[in-house]
Amino acid sequence: MSFPEKMLRIDRRIIFFVIGLCTLLPLLYPVDLPIIVTPEVRMVYDYIESLPDGSVFLLSMDFDPASKPELEPQAIALLRHAFSRNLRVIAMTLWLPGTGLAEQTVNRVAQELGKVNGEDYVFLGYSPGVGALIIGMGQDLYKAFPSDYYGNPTKTLAVLKDVPNLRHVDYVVSLAAGTPGVETWYLFGKDKYQFELGGGCTGVIAPGLYPLLRSGQINGLIGGMRGAAEYELLIDQSGSAVAGMDAQSATHFAIIVLVILCNTFYFMTRRAAARGG
Amino acid sequence: MTFLRRQLPLVITFVAGVIFTLQYYVPHPKSEILLTEGSLWIQIIGLFALVLGVTSLFHIHAVKIKRQEPGWGYSLILYFGIVVTLAVGLFVQWVGGQHPGGKETIDGAMTAFGWIYTYTMVPLQGTMFAILAFFIASAAYRSFRARSKEAALLLTAAVIVMMGRVPLGEYLLPVTGDITLWILNVLNASVRRAILIGISLGAVALSIKIIFGLERAYLGGGKE
Repeated sequence: MSFPEKMLRIDRRIIFFVIGLCTLLPLLYPVDLPIIVTPEVRMVYDYIESLPDGSVFLLSMDFDPASKPELEPQAIALLRHAFSRNLRVIAMTLWLPGTGLAEQTVNRVAQELGKVNGEDYVFLGYSPGVGALIIGMGQDLYKAFPSDYYGNPTKTLAVLKDVPNLRHVDYVVSLAAGTPGVETWYLFGKDKYQFELGGGCTGVIAPGLYPLLRSGQINGLIGGMRGAAEYELLIDQSGSAVAGMDAQSATHFAIIVLVILCNTFYFMTRRAAARGG
Repeated sequence: MTFLRRQLPLVITFVAGVIFTLQYYVPHPKSEILLTEGSLWIQIIGLFALVLGVTSLFHIHAVKIKRQEPGWGYSLILYFGIVVTLAVGLFVQWVGGQHPGGKETIDGAMTAFGWIYTYTMVPLQGTMFAILAFFIASAAYRSFRARSKEAALLLTAAVIVMMGRVPLGEYLLPVTGDITLWILNVLNASVRRAILIGISLGAVALSIKIIFGLERAYLGGGKE
């Protein structure tokens, strides 16, 4: 077996080791490379900036713990921004396994900024139905969620005063790890109830949401950990996403080098085979 | 029995399908009330689907364990996980004698159910997803080869996007950031849009077929 053939059949544990190193070393020794803010992330930031005090902001955390590293930093950054702008925050999830994570995130950020549950924000939790739930919220929010996650009647909550349905929500952002997520909120919500919609998502599904962005169906898009890092920079509060960008840079480059190497060896074996045959 | 299994579901589907299709175009208050009530019904039915899903999961894995099929040990672990989580969520009282009621926290204090969620489910799911990075790198090395012109084009685009989406790529070759945005906003968006339009037209066609009883696969098989 020739050298290129041997290299093409390299033990995959070596690749795992390289990726492990590329993740670990930048986390231990950060380089802090400059991060450029993209227009699609800035659009979400600018829209929240433009909302007056007391406006209603709904954050739907449509993800489960598997997507926590990418979407939790987005949620934290958005909540910090919304609370610092004194918006009334409604938090919820369309993903049952994400309920606990969403609750922890909202309460942590709210406590950090001294916000009061029921007055400044509400966590509605999870309710089944997906599209039907969004339609229900669009028709009558108090009927779709008669009580919040802690059992308090939604009709009596100060934060939900004069918010009988989604038409009274100024901005909705869905942070999605898949379906249900941004597309679901557009299809069943924005299309009929005419609120402004923004999106956040994992890096894997971001390319699939660009058509919605280009057509104005969503007014901004925060894609993956990179998007979260950009948002952290915009609100001037670097967090876990900015910290993770060096590791992401290193692993992306490791994969690029691996792809170049594998193609080099592939063409070497092809040339050798052509000469031999 | 044929009426209950075949005709009745077809009638319900036809009536509900036609009513809610027309409802979209009728802004009358009564039509809106119908939509509100209908969405509540669907939410309630969704809960039954949840119960059905869990029951089905129990049944499939019980059969696997009983027959000791390959991998039955994993089914046993799954069974153990479900039963323990359910029991803890429903019965264990940790916080001030309050019933947890399937909640992760009560008055800011973590319940036993919340402990299971935070310290087992969250790290386990996170680990499963993190492993993907290793397998993607390995798969890219083994299969991402320029075997044809099309594959070479895809490979070049992938390398540019991978560079343009990280600070190191933009730092070394600033133009990759702009090219990445162009690829995502123009090439990718137009192709995705075409796929979306195709899927949407297919969904509309399938819905019409289901409403008019031409597509009956959702009724399942079985004897008449």
